[in-house]
Amino acid sequence: MTNKSSILINGIWWKASGIIIFLYVLIGGMLVPLGPGVTAITPSNAVAGDTVVLEISGYNTHFTDAQNCNAWLKLDSNHLIKAYSIRSLSQKKLKAAFVLPDSFPSVAQVYTLSLVLDNEFDGVFIQPAALFVSAKTVISDALSGEWKNNFDIVFHERQGIFFPYRSILNETIRNTFFHVALWFAMFILLLIGVVYAIKYLRKGNYDDDIISSSFTAVAVMYGVLGILTGSVWAKFTWNTFWTNDVKLNMTAVALLIYLAYFVLRGMHQDQDRRAKFSAGFSIFAFTALIPLVFVIPRLTDSLHPGNGGNPALGGEDLDNTLRMFFYPSIIALTIMGLWMSQLMIRAMRIKDNILTR
Amino acid sequence: MHAGRIKDIFLKEIAVEFRQKYALGGIVLFTSALVYLIYKVFNNLTGLEWSVMLWVITLFAGLQATVKSFMQERKETYFYYYTIFDPNDLLLAKWLYNFVMIVLLFGLTLLFMSIFMGMPVKDYMLFAKGSMLGLAGLSTVFTFVSLIAASEHSSSTLMSVLAIPLVLPIMLLMLKITTVSARLIQDTSVDQDILLLVGINAIFLGSIFLLFPVLWRA
Repeated sequence: MTNKSSILINGIWWKASGIIIFLYVLIGGMLVPLGPGVTAITPSNAVAGDTVVLEISGYNTHFTDAQNCNAWLKLDSNHLIKAYSIRSLSQKKLKAAFVLPDSFPSVAQVYTLSLVLDNEFDGVFIQPAALFVSAKTVISDALSGEWKNNFDIVFHERQGIFFPYRSILNETIRNTFFHVALWFAMFILLLIGVVYAIKYLRKGNYDDDIISSSFTAVAVMYGVLGILTGSVWAKFTWNTFWTNDVKLNMTAVALLIYLAYFVLRGMHQDQDRRAKFSAGFSIFAFTALIPLVFVIPRLTDSLHPGNGGNPALGGEDLDNTLRMFFYPSIIALTIMGLWMSQLMIRAMRIKDNILTR
Repeated sequence: MHAGRIKDIFLKEIAVEFRQKYALGGIVLFTSALVYLIYKVFNNLTGLEWSVMLWVITLFAGLQATVKSFMQERKETYFYYYTIFDPNDLLLAKWLYNFVMIVLLFGLTLLFMSIFMGMPVKDYMLFAKGSMLGLAGLSTVFTFVSLIAASEHSSSTLMSVLAIPLVLPIMLLMLKITTVSARLIQDTSVDQDILLLVGINAIFLGSIFLLFPVLWRA
């Protein structure tokens, strides 16, 4: 009655490749340095017409090594002010003096200037909203006084690979390879579990139930790990292990639903009915998961990317260097999930064989 | 689908319910005792507490009322149904019956609560619209879960374990709609919540109609 599905893939090559890819992600993801960034700037505001000396604290910067340090304050791509003198105090400290012009090219109470730093070691990097300038008078004539445009500036390019520096995230940006990739892998495994649950309900082959429940079990473990890694990440970025964020709470509900699935499985004694009802419940739970995780968080405010007007993955958040580790991480975690599910499937098949002999 | 058969099963359910008056009376007593307990514990409820309590009481009373929807009759009766009814007819009748039961319980809770603790709702139209959709969602989940739980001995425990996380998104939306209709918070996107509720109901109803014919054979 129980036909074995050919879900088991023999051979060591794919398991080995999973481990190798994951080791690559682990080593590369931890060892690749973060790009240069600015952690603090004092003072943070000034009045138009003043001369300001900004003290800039950098991260992973090489201010002393660099020969050609340059700094600009930028209003938009046509309006920059170059620093007239620059002095590096240490590798991570820099003093830059600017003469702020009297007049600005547009009408506003306060102007927000970004700081652009450039040297041959770190390349060019930008700190947005670095200095707030209160205006005095306003003119519409561009490029007068201290204003320059950036068409003739040649910026340096940093050599080698590095992860982008994001304020608040800092070094924790590496958690993308684990936290986000775990959720992706979880969904792939859950999807396989649901496909086999549907297969069980259509054909009634008990082996499909073993496969479905094994994949769901590993997926739930990934979900728990995803919550844990996210919680640690939240401690470093949002300063709390748990917030009132919708996505967190909806995910917790989704995990509760799936834990209820295991309660349901544990309560049934009769193998056939357990298989049937848990397959039905897992399909229902998966359909409940879609509004929980994908719809509701997108409609309400959330701190997560892609929710409540925040940009989704991609764009500035996921640059090519991060992609070099992010996609392999998803692949490696999925492969290891498949492997773990296979071990569970084998164990449950043996148990089933002994019980039905 | 057969409207006449659905009506027959629906009427039969009501007849069975009224034949065992103690069960119906028990749920009514449970609800009113719960409302009175909450009234004495809080003495003075704010609008938000009122909304939370309304939905918590409705949730637990609804669970009590629907847990037996696939357990009242003997196994042989279900074999008999299996031979004569289309499963979708039976499901729709059960769902309709559960819906009516939950709406009645909700109305009763609302009545008791407004007697003891006042009625903070200002926008009645929104409240009615949101409540009906939410109760429809609750009855969908409860019908499905009571089917799954029916085969077990400790089914009421299993039912709460399975149903409470599943109804949580509905409950959260309901709570939001209730607080908006009581003018506790301003929300211009409440129509979006109503649409979301309709969407969740559609997903849940669709999946139980797909799953029920397969499951109830067991």
